[in-house]
Amino acid sequence: MAVTETPPETATAAPEQAPVRARPQPTGFAAVLGSGDHKVIGRLYVATATLFGLVTLAVGEAFAIEGVQADTLDVFTAETVFQFFTFVRIAPVFLVALPLVIGVALVVAPLQVGARTAAFPRAAAASYWGWLMGSALLIAAYLMNGGPGGGSEAGVNLWIAALGVVVVSLLTAAVSLATTVLALRHTGLTLARVPMFAWSVAVASIMWLLTLPVLLGLLALMYVDHRHGGSSYGANDEIYARLLWVLRNPQIYTLAIPVLGFAADALATTARTRIAPRFAAQGAIAAFGVFGFGAFLAGTASDPQPYESWVVIAIGLAAVLPVLAILGLAGDLFRRGSFRLNAGVVYAVTSLILLLIGVAAGALGSFPTFETVGTVYDLGVTHAVVLASVIGSLGGLHWWATKVGRQPATEGLGMVAPLLLLLGSLAIVLPELASGLFGEDAEVRLDWTGGIEALNIVVAIGAAVLALGVITAIVSLLPLLRRSADTVAVDPWEGQTLEWLAPSPPPHDNFATELPVVTSAEPLVDQREEK
Amino acid sequence: MAVAVTSGLPPAPAPARPRVLLVGTALVAGAWFMGIVGLVGFYLSARSNALASGGTWLPEGANLPLTPGNMAFATMLISAVSMWWAVDAVGKNDRQMAYLALALTIFFGIAVINATSFLYAQAALPVDTLAGTLIYTVTGAHLAMIIVGLVFAGVMTFRTLGGEYHGRDREGLTAAALFWYVTIAAHAVIWLAIYVTK
Repeated sequence: MAVTETPPETATAAPEQAPVRARPQPTGFAAVLGSGDHKVIGRLYVATATLFGLVTLAVGEAFAIEGVQADTLDVFTAETVFQFFTFVRIAPVFLVALPLVIGVALVVAPLQVGARTAAFPRAAAASYWGWLMGSALLIAAYLMNGGPGGGSEAGVNLWIAALGVVVVSLLTAAVSLATTVLALRHTGLTLARVPMFAWSVAVASIMWLLTLPVLLGLLALMYVDHRHGGSSYGANDEIYARLLWVLRNPQIYTLAIPVLGFAADALATTARTRIAPRFAAQGAIAAFGVFGFGAFLAGTASDPQPYESWVVIAIGLAAVLPVLAILGLAGDLFRRGSFRLNAGVVYAVTSLILLLIGVAAGALGSFPTFETVGTVYDLGVTHAVVLASVIGSLGGLHWWATKVGRQPATEGLGMVAPLLLLLGSLAIVLPELASGLFGEDAEVRLDWTGGIEALNIVVAIGAAVLALGVITAIVSLLPLLRRSADTVAVDPWEGQTLEWLAPSPPPHDNFATELPVVTSAEPLVDQREEK
Repeated sequence: MAVAVTSGLPPAPAPARPRVLLVGTALVAGAWFMGIVGLVGFYLSARSNALASGGTWLPEGANLPLTPGNMAFATMLISAVSMWWAVDAVGKNDRQMAYLALALTIFFGIAVINATSFLYAQAALPVDTLAGTLIYTVTGAHLAMIIVGLVFAGVMTFRTLGGEYHGRDREGLTAAALFWYVTIAAHAVIWLAIYVTK
């Protein structure tokens, strides 16, 4: 016979409610270290990823300079060049672009869905500190002669483990982000009404959760192997080759999914019109996510054969379509709405153009006729997509400046920065694509010889312009740190979605008032139309 | 510059309690499953390459006995029933049965760990071979999943004991059950790919 009990919390009458005393909020360093506030965690991600970005850019510039006269210029020694090369391949993805996207998303996505907090805030905080620790260990592994091709066995083991920690941490953040969008939406905000950026963050997070665990499994395998002699699953220098699928198309596209969402939101708001048809835009973003699924190419090492299958060619060609669809949407928005020039638009358009170049080059390179696998062409495609992601993230920071920081960003510099970033990126990407088409090998031999020397001059100049663009963007964002007694506009762009109801900067629980029931994808436009 | 006003529409009613834990668990379980499926893919690919080149897969002297593998898998399947029983019992506010079912599930999980350890001892498989590296990594990743599933189920048991979950709200326990079912699905893949196919 079943014994039925009344759950304890309903067994006794509820006592009279004692007045709730708000706990004093920690301030200063304690507020940062112990915070589970998604905005604080997002800012930490952004600041640290930017710092790592500057370091990576400096090493990348050194490579570009050496490539100008590979025979005579020796910036890197023959012993260390391969390790530095793997650093400039791995770091832009795991230490810069991905955490930068996650940082912006952690600040903005919960606000966009009207949530008072991110899902699993402690896990989100742990993800940042774990990522920071993993990144520090990754750099430490290089310093102790570790990393792929490194001379120190312990250093190589540490490198594999550190990258594992980095991936686990980023996946934890992805769980928090996806759950926030899927389960913490405000009343009435159905998935069909979710703002495009939040939608793209959910799609990207799910794709990372479906693909990066395969990388984690591969790292575990390589760690066990290397720890026990490293003779079974490829030698030391095979480690990098087995990770290449993460850095190539189609997998690298998952990094840029949120770019499409940011562009759609910023352009629709600027054009003062609604996105129509929404399902097409959402479908394009979801399709771009699906086409970025590259886990089936995991562990293929240097063998180009899997990249010559019809599936990879089809995915490569199809991935161009969603980017074109969002660009078409941009044109339609400005045709139906009004055009205003602001930094958000410039960032959105430049990141979309660069992404289009990346996916178009990926499509071209997927044809076996061109024999681009393993050449500098791969670098070009990766750089285009990674840089599009970085430009999109910086654009997001500029667009949502009053929600991320204390003051709006500087508009003038904000319009110059993406143009410099695009110019620098093109000067890097196009010569690399050209070099790759002429069969220049990306594999590092005794000296860095990637790319055609004459074109490498353009790459070196491009890297310098890119650095200038990054510095300009950082300077334009400096007002975000400034305290001011002036009231900051809640909604500086006449926004359409819920984040623009949050005070600037948002308080701990995001919204100062109760939010209205959401009845459309653009609740703030509804409000304005009713007046 | 426009400042948004919130008074245009009536305030929203309190949203229904979101199933945050369930969604988060589904994502974590799905990710872990993909990791294990990826590892199994590496295993099958390496095995296929080794056999295609005319060699043998398992090193000489090594053996993967099927009996402990079968026992472990059968135990996992039974634990699916006990986990379903726990969720059902909590749904009926039958807490004693829920405790019994959860305790059984945890017992079955520990039994699977024990069976796998026994299999390791019987296999005599050196870790510094390709087959050894792959088999220990794949099964190790799954053992870690079982341990996490057990800890999750244990925590949810204590929360149920504390009265946090009951007939009207059993999200935590459902989440633990979901994770456990995915663990069983992953075991099915490993059982077929490694223990049966070898």
